[in-house]
Amino acid sequence: MLGLFKGMGITLKNMTKPKVTLGYPHEPIKMPDRFRGIQHFDPEKCIVCNQCARICPTNCISLTGKKHPDPNKRGKIINTYDINFEICILCDLCTEVCPTEAIIMTNRYELATYSREALLKDMKWLHANDQMIRQDNISSKPKRGGK
Amino acid sequence: MDWYIFVYPVILLAIVLVFVMYAIYFERKVIGWIQLRKGPTETGPKGLFQSAADVFKLLIKEDIIPSKADRPLFKLAPILAYVPAFSVLAVIPFTDAPYLKFSNVAVGLMYYLALSSITVMGVLLGGWASNNKYSLLGGMRAGAQMISYEIPLVLSVVGVVMSAGSLNLTEIVETQIAGAWNVFPQFLGFVVFIIAAIAELNRTPFDLPEAESELVAGYHTEYTGFRFAFFMLAEYTYVFAMASLITILFFGGWDAPFGLTFIPPLVWFILKFCCFVFLLFWLRATFPRLRGDQLMEFAWKGLLPLAIINIFVSALLKEVPFLSQYF
Repeated sequence: MLGLFKGMGITLKNMTKPKVTLGYPHEPIKMPDRFRGIQHFDPEKCIVCNQCARICPTNCISLTGKKHPDPNKRGKIINTYDINFEICILCDLCTEVCPTEAIIMTNRYELATYSREALLKDMKWLHANDQMIRQDNISSKPKRGGK
Repeated sequence: MDWYIFVYPVILLAIVLVFVMYAIYFERKVIGWIQLRKGPTETGPKGLFQSAADVFKLLIKEDIIPSKADRPLFKLAPILAYVPAFSVLAVIPFTDAPYLKFSNVAVGLMYYLALSSITVMGVLLGGWASNNKYSLLGGMRAGAQMISYEIPLVLSVVGVVMSAGSLNLTEIVETQIAGAWNVFPQFLGFVVFIIAAIAELNRTPFDLPEAESELVAGYHTEYTGFRFAFFMLAEYTYVFAMASLITILFFGGWDAPFGLTFIPPLVWFILKFCCFVFLLFWLRATFPRLRGDQLMEFAWKGLLPLAIINIFVSALLKEVPFLSQYF
């Protein structure tokens, strides 16, 4: 019998406690810095080594390079760079393998669209996706390193 | 024939509909808060239009009647469930002002209790006419439960009727204004009444007829659209009626406690009414559902003897010199 009233006391007290739910669509959820979100791509840094396309487990990255416009310089520069987010699993392998950190992860995760075509992101879009970049991968900042 | 005989019931119906809408909204909010959630927040400011949107959705749904269902009975059932729910409100005196009660029937309490048991027929009929095992089980459970709890419900108010010497609800309130609120002298009767009332309303912890984990949805499994809305409406109209009845029988109706008469009687009535409605939501968020055999045992072996003891005790105390003023 007493238990019934105890239970009612607990539920009554619960009414004024802080809510555990998040106002998600209105307030974005802040992800931790190591979150694997949508990639940011920097064409300036890319050396067209093709490592990211080779390591990608779902083969969602396709890229083409072209000769450097300055004939005195060796190597290539990037021409097109596409990631197909229909099949990308955001596994972080492309950013791990990239020797120049031309492709790095951001904290953004919203990929819902109305059409499949909208999920095929090109170089321009990936370059413009420069908000909430993973802090560890910004090369101008000092590395955290092992302490 | 005066024109207001037709206009007042329409106004009351509108008030009941608004009450039902916001009772559902408030119920979802309260349960949300208790479960550390926010409840509806999206539809309209603070989610205020949530129930209106839900009702609108129900009204525009396709009206489906199962092909093997008993069509006339299937259509009759929601009407039979709702009409008594609304017509019992005719005898409820909201205040002593003549324009706030509809009919001053001498046997108002009896009228209420007699008519409210017709709803069981609607529920049982809906369950049977659907031609679905879950509906039938739900309907049978509802029938068994509502008939079992009707008896302690009626017997528990006998003490109140004896102390007032009348079945008229206005006179019952006036006796309480002169003496004490029935909740104090008739405390045992009040406890039995409130438990039986919750069971009559088919609400948690006595919501076995609609136990969704066992019966899909209970007697209204096959109902959609506005027919389903009518069953829901009947349920919440009974919440309105039962909250009014408890206020009148045990909490002195529109009587102002502590001599706070500057607050109008109607406001007092609404305050007491809201406390009971809140209690229902609070209980729903707290307690789990009873088991079927516990339910029947509780009504016949627990509440019924208590209600009879209450009658004898109040009859005895009526003869004690000092206490007789309260009984």
